[in-house]
Order: sequence, then C-alpha cells, then structure tokens
Amino acid sequence: MSWKYDVVVVGSGIAGPIIARNVAKAGYSVLLLDKKPAIGSPKQCAEGISIRVFDKYDIPYDKRFINREIYGAKLYSPGGYELELRYKEVSGVILERKVFDKMLAHYAARAGADVLARTEALDVIRQDGKIAGIRAKHEDEPVEIYADIIVAADGVESMIARKAGINTYAPPHEFDSSYEYEMLIEGFDPDLIHLWFGNEIAPRGYVWVFPKDEDRANVGIGIASDHPETAKYYLNKWLRENGIPSRKILEINVGVVPVGGFVKELVKDNVLVVGDAARQVNPMHGGGMAEAMEAGTIASKWIVKALEEENLSLLQNYTKEWWETDGKRLEKVLKVRRVTEKLTDEDLDLFIQILSGADAEKIASGDYAEVIKALLKHPKVLMSRRRLSLLKELL
Amino acid sequence: MPERIRVVVNEDRCYLCGGCAGVCPTLAIEVHASGWEFFQDKCISCRICINACPVGALSAEPLEVKE
Repeated sequence: MSWKYDVVVVGSGIAGPIIARNVAKAGYSVLLLDKKPAIGSPKQCAEGISIRVFDKYDIPYDKRFINREIYGAKLYSPGGYELELRYKEVSGVILERKVFDKMLAHYAARAGADVLARTEALDVIRQDGKIAGIRAKHEDEPVEIYADIIVAADGVESMIARKAGINTYAPPHEFDSSYEYEMLIEGFDPDLIHLWFGNEIAPRGYVWVFPKDEDRANVGIGIASDHPETAKYYLNKWLRENGIPSRKILEINVGVVPVGGFVKELVKDNVLVVGDAARQVNPMHGGGMAEAMEAGTIASKWIVKALEEENLSLLQNYTKEWWETDGKRLEKVLKVRRVTEKLTDEDLDLFIQILSGADAEKIASGDYAEVIKALLKHPKVLMSRRRLSLLKELL
Repeated sequence: MPERIRVVVNEDRCYLCGGCAGVCPTLAIEVHASGWEFFQDKCISCRICINACPVGALSAEPLEVKE
C-alpha cells in the first residue's frame, strides 16, 4: 500500500492531534497515526492540567474527559511542614487521558484529518537525499506514507525524529523515571493536588496524589532516571511508610520523562519534532501537556504557512518562534529546577516552613520573585552562605 | 572499556512504556505495540536503559568475548 498526504503526523498524544486538527482545518490533507490499538491508552501521565488550556488551545471543556476540578496544591516537606495554596476559583483539572487523547484525535478527524490507530511508524523513506515519507505497519500490513511534511510527535522514544537525523539525545540524568497507581485512597483533600518532597522520599523528584474522585487518585512518583533504585521501589516504600493501604489498585502506569532541557533544532528540512519527543516538558514538575499544546500550535502555524507558500524553509520558523517564546520561559524554569535539585531535606523543611507563614496569596499567584523575597527575609536563610547563593542563582 | 553486555527484558515486568528506547543513546532498543526489541549491534553497553526502567524490567547478561 502506498498513500500520499500533505502532512503525516506520527503519534496521537497531545501535540500530534492538535497539529493534525489545525492543519486539516486549513484545508490540507493530513494523516495522524498511532501505534497503540486504542488512542490514549495506556497513559503516561498524572493527568493534571491548568484550566487555562481549554480556551487557549480551543479544546472543549467536555465533562467526558474531566474527572475532577482542582482548586490548588498542597506541598509537604520531608520533616512534615505543609504549604497550602488554595484558590477561590478552579485552577486546574484532573483529566481522563484515555478519553481526552481520543477526543483530541476525534477533533482532528472531524476537522478533516485521517486518523489510524494500531499503525506503527517503522522508519523514514529517503529519496534523492530527502525524506519523502515514512514506512509504517497497520496491524501486519506494510504501508508507505508519502508526505511533504513529517511531524514526529512520537513521545519520549523520539524514534522517527532520530531516524530522520534530528538530534534529540539527552544524557540519563536529564530524565525522570515514573511509576503511578490509580488507586483508592482517603485522607487527602480531594480538591487539591498533593506533592511530597525529600531526598529519601523521591530522589530529585516528588510523590504526587492527584485526585480523580473523592476517594480515588493518581498516586505516583518521579525520580532521577540514573538512580540505582527503581521508581516503583520508592513509591511502594512511601505508601508503606505512610500506612496507606495499597490493595485497591485500578491501573498502573509507567514512563520516563525528559526533564533536563529541550531539543535545540526542532526542524530538519521537512521533519518537525514536537512534544515529549522534543523534550518539551516543564522541567520543574515534569508535566508536558500544556507545553505540547503550545509547541503543536506554533508548529502547525508554520506548517500551514509553508504549505500555503510552497516554501518548506519556512518550517525553520517553528524552531525560532518556539525558542523565542515557550523555550525562553522553560529555560528559566530549568534554571529553577537546577537550584531545587541542590536543596537538602533541611532546606526543604525550612523553605516550606517559611513560605507557609508568608503571604500565601502572592505565593499562590506563582510569582517566583515573591517566593524568593519571602525566603530571603528569614534569618536562617540570611545566615547561610550556601542558601543565599542558591537563591541568588534564581534572581 | 565497560564489560560488553546483552540487555534482556523481563516481559512479565515490562509495560512497553518506551522509556528505555527514549534514554538509549544509539537506538539499540525499539518498543513496538506488540513487543520489545533489542539490537545488539547498536548497543554500547552503557547500561543507561537498565537504570532508567521505572520497574526494573531490564537486566544485563555478559556477552561472551570472542578470543
């Protein structure tokens, strides 16, 4: 079999279907494919996302994929200090990714894209020194898909981007390993997400409880991927040490998250890389859905322009615009992450203790400068040259 | 020179999450919808995949050196 499209998009997670939808809306032919038999499942995600993305990326606020509305977050230090950030309005939601991703693909299909599950991209097709498309397999049937533009939205594996010659390499300490249960759990305010920090709890990462219901949540962990123990080991240890019963497990999810930096060159000739495949993840919390939506939006804008003007060199503007906008923001977040990696358990106790007594409203607004200002006022920070120098790295 | 290894998967532990393929510097692992595949000729024995696996599904077997 051999097919021809203007654009082929490999991977139907978050970025893939947004691009397919936007390109189809502009009137171009696009094929969105995914190797999984069911788009959206299994997820590799804690499913939390800001309320703002629905308007911003033109996604319906559809209760079919919204498990629960969330009003803020509660942070826990290793020594038991707590910091609660609660808003009056809904600040985020916990999605049902297996419905959400499928609906994103549905929107793409409705806009005119072709969508094919259980279709795995195997390699790129090279012709006359150019990439002319991809070789794929639908069930056991080989198919050659020719396209002017190829989008690699194929997740952390980033296989198609790499086979196309885009350098997506990152060293092992720039990944987190994650393990998560969807389970019944009680005793945590189901209107907030809950995060536990500590070098013994989750080396370089955190444990999360993201409520999907009054008594049900995604309970997971991310730790440095080069740590000799597994993420699973640390999550089970945390549950055991906190006396949380763990025999009501509805789902287990596993994944590796790029948290240490972003692919520099996002385009090579007619191939674009986007989302987890481009390491476009918030390095502070490891979430990548909003980042994938943003990158997908920028990428689709330049894909449409390149097709309109029949000038594929315009695709390079995706790299340029992403780095000037979201890339710039995420580089700052990465800087904060590199500082937080150096915090000891005593630092975490002290900082969370100080912040819980500070102006919670200002801190809840996410203003880093306010956070640092509050910390810098405290004598235990002022008296410590190490703590001072850590905080000054952030200013 | 690090010891030359063959990476093997415990299929009962593996979720086919693709993380090992993501961290592999040389595309020596491919994770398909229906299975995990290792390419010995590409492997550089760095063991990054073994450490990164969230569930400890990967392990190393020494590769016999031909004298």
